[in-house]
Amino acid sequence: MGKIEWAMWANEQSLAAGLILLTGGIVGVAGQFRDWEFAAYAIAAGVFVCLLEYPRGKRNKGTSVERTGQYCFTVCVKSFGPLTRNYYVRAFLHAAICIPGGFLLATVLGCVCLGIASLIYLAAAIRGEQWEPILPSKESARKPVGESIKLPPQNPPPRPPAEMRRKRAEDLEAAAYVNPIAVTANDD
Amino acid sequence: MALSVRSWVANEGGKHLVLVLWLGANTLLFMRTFLLYYCGQQYHYLHQMLGLGLCISRASAAVLNLNCSLVLLPMCRSLLTYLRGTHTVTSRKARRLLDKSKTFHVACGVAICVFSVVHVSAHLVNVVNFSVRYSEEFPSLNVARYRGEVRCAHSHTHTHTQPVLTCGLLPQDPRLIILTTVPGITGILLVLILFLMFTASSYCIRVSNYEIFWYTHNLFIVFYIILIVHVVGGALKYQTNFEAHPPGCLRANQTNPDKTEEESGQAEGDVWSCREEARFQPNSPETWLWVSGPLCLYCAERLYRYIRSNSPVTIVAVVRHPCDVIELRMLKKDFNAHPGQYIVLNCPSVSSFENHPFTLTACPTEKKETLGIHLRVVGDWTERFTELLLPDPGAESEILPMVQQRRYPKLYVDGPFGSSSQEVFNYEVSLCVAGGIGVTPFACVLHALLDGWRHFRLRRLYFVWVCRELQSFYWFAELLCALHHKLWQENRPDYLNLQLFVSQTDGLQNISEERYRPLSSRLMIGRPRWKLLFEEIGRTNKHKRVGVFCCGPKGISRTLHRLCNSDRYSGTTFEFNKESFS
Repeated sequence: MGKIEWAMWANEQSLAAGLILLTGGIVGVAGQFRDWEFAAYAIAAGVFVCLLEYPRGKRNKGTSVERTGQYCFTVCVKSFGPLTRNYYVRAFLHAAICIPGGFLLATVLGCVCLGIASLIYLAAAIRGEQWEPILPSKESARKPVGESIKLPPQNPPPRPPAEMRRKRAEDLEAAAYVNPIAVTANDD
Repeated sequence: MALSVRSWVANEGGKHLVLVLWLGANTLLFMRTFLLYYCGQQYHYLHQMLGLGLCISRASAAVLNLNCSLVLLPMCRSLLTYLRGTHTVTSRKARRLLDKSKTFHVACGVAICVFSVVHVSAHLVNVVNFSVRYSEEFPSLNVARYRGEVRCAHSHTHTHTQPVLTCGLLPQDPRLIILTTVPGITGILLVLILFLMFTASSYCIRVSNYEIFWYTHNLFIVFYIILIVHVVGGALKYQTNFEAHPPGCLRANQTNPDKTEEESGQAEGDVWSCREEARFQPNSPETWLWVSGPLCLYCAERLYRYIRSNSPVTIVAVVRHPCDVIELRMLKKDFNAHPGQYIVLNCPSVSSFENHPFTLTACPTEKKETLGIHLRVVGDWTERFTELLLPDPGAESEILPMVQQRRYPKLYVDGPFGSSSQEVFNYEVSLCVAGGIGVTPFACVLHALLDGWRHFRLRRLYFVWVCRELQSFYWFAELLCALHHKLWQENRPDYLNLQLFVSQTDGLQNISEERYRPLSSRLMIGRPRWKLLFEEIGRTNKHKRVGVFCCGPKGISRTLHRLCNSDRYSGTTFEFNKESFS
């Protein structure tokens, strides 16, 4: 109904796909399959994808939940600036990474899963989403009380309540008071 | 805080017993199937061709069968509500296990994912072995269609000046085997669906974008249909005539190269020579045996829920309360609910497919037939729903409830579904802790007590309600004061022990209305001190079983859970029950 953030789902998928690619690559290298160079590539690609996707982005609305220990990854990924912020770049990067995985049987699944993740990233990019880092908030929750006390008051103290201001006929002396500032509109 | 064995067993024992039983069933099934394929005579030739991959893949398939059938059962919510509500399951311990149905579902789901990975890896190895070890002795055993094709290539070596033609036998590409057999293609589809379902089910996504989780999880029906087709391919065959043809026997024109002349001459015909050729037959698919029962049950339950929720609901009154809470009163025919149950609302004018759960705050009784819910406006569905129900308020009328007559949107109500808060009446002493809007299940309990408290087993109720702002207490101020007065009139002032806490110290701190005097004298500023509360309850209710019910933020429920498992309460056992959604 409302705004779905596709990027979050794509992030989960690409992390899982990176792990699948890594596992497939390890199986391929250990089993010494025919084209085991592709498996070695898949290990490197899997590790790279996992590192890129581990830090979660910030949600537009609501609280963002970090993954454990993601702060250092956030700093690394943030340092690439627009390359990692833009989801179009991520979509095409994942699509390019996944293609060599399709040549070896052990890594085919990782390739397909990463392809699906890249499609969802493309959908997120078309909807204009961006990756924002989750950084600890710097400003403190409450302003210190002392600040306003240092300045002198800008306004005079308020008027006494209406009962006092109403002129009592029987006791004109006691009912009199002095207005600190003019209260009538056309007082010159 | 020291852990007490007795408290731990009372709180956690049942859950862990079920976990151990489930793990035991999985392990037993895995080992049994593994050994069948490892040692069984009818699989001897297949095992020779495929190796360990065969045993692991079949064993994990058996475990997958079990978990795919178990994973559906905790999600039959109407069935669980029936089991819980009508006391068909008589022991309270067993009913408490029903609270953990979602956790069991998640455990089965994780097992399905893990064993799918094992199964797929083992089958990939099998496919490579089918391709490389094509058997010419037993052609019907093969899945690869041919031994291999001859491939020739020119190559230059440094010792010859002319290019040399080398020819070799290239076995059928394993990827082709996967893509041209039914189990292969269905297997790939199954893994993709499982991947989509699994990645959309993490806690983060459920909390932020519930629709993604819901729509991908509803792909389960496609998953099950493809699963039943997956085993029909008949790729793995067993030998049907292993008495007549013992595995490893010699054919008529074969000699066993390992044995000497004498031994082979001396051996009797039966043992070492085959009477007939080996015959193979595909394994009969048994997944449908496991899966069809729970699948039919779940589909029947969904159909029943759909039919039940299609009857119309009339909105009788809409009341606006402070702190963004709306009370909704409705009428529905043939609707019976117990305190503590929840319903699921669907409003097509807001969104056709979204269903949102809300706890009932007022159940229909003989005196009053309306059912009521309190919903807090947070999130776009509730905002849109409120806009349809009420006009925009003026800022001044925030505190006073406003009632208006207008054309209400069509609403569908599914339920009621059971939850752990139904057990409040089944303990002698209960402690109900509510955080903010989490008071709704207990509000229903208080309504029920207002109608009549004598016939319940409950003898004393401790009610602790923690809110951020003081105005939140006005949601149920009338109800609390009415119950308090009734109990005083009927000479049971100690039945209800009420404690209200305002956790934020900045706002208003005083309930000034005279008619809410019982509340203002029980109002405390700051957070409750749970340890002291537990000690007090333990001292005044020695050697009793106290039911602790919590509906609120995670921090509070974790603290309470820890306190229930520890041991300093003079013989009193605290049993922890938590209410949660999503």
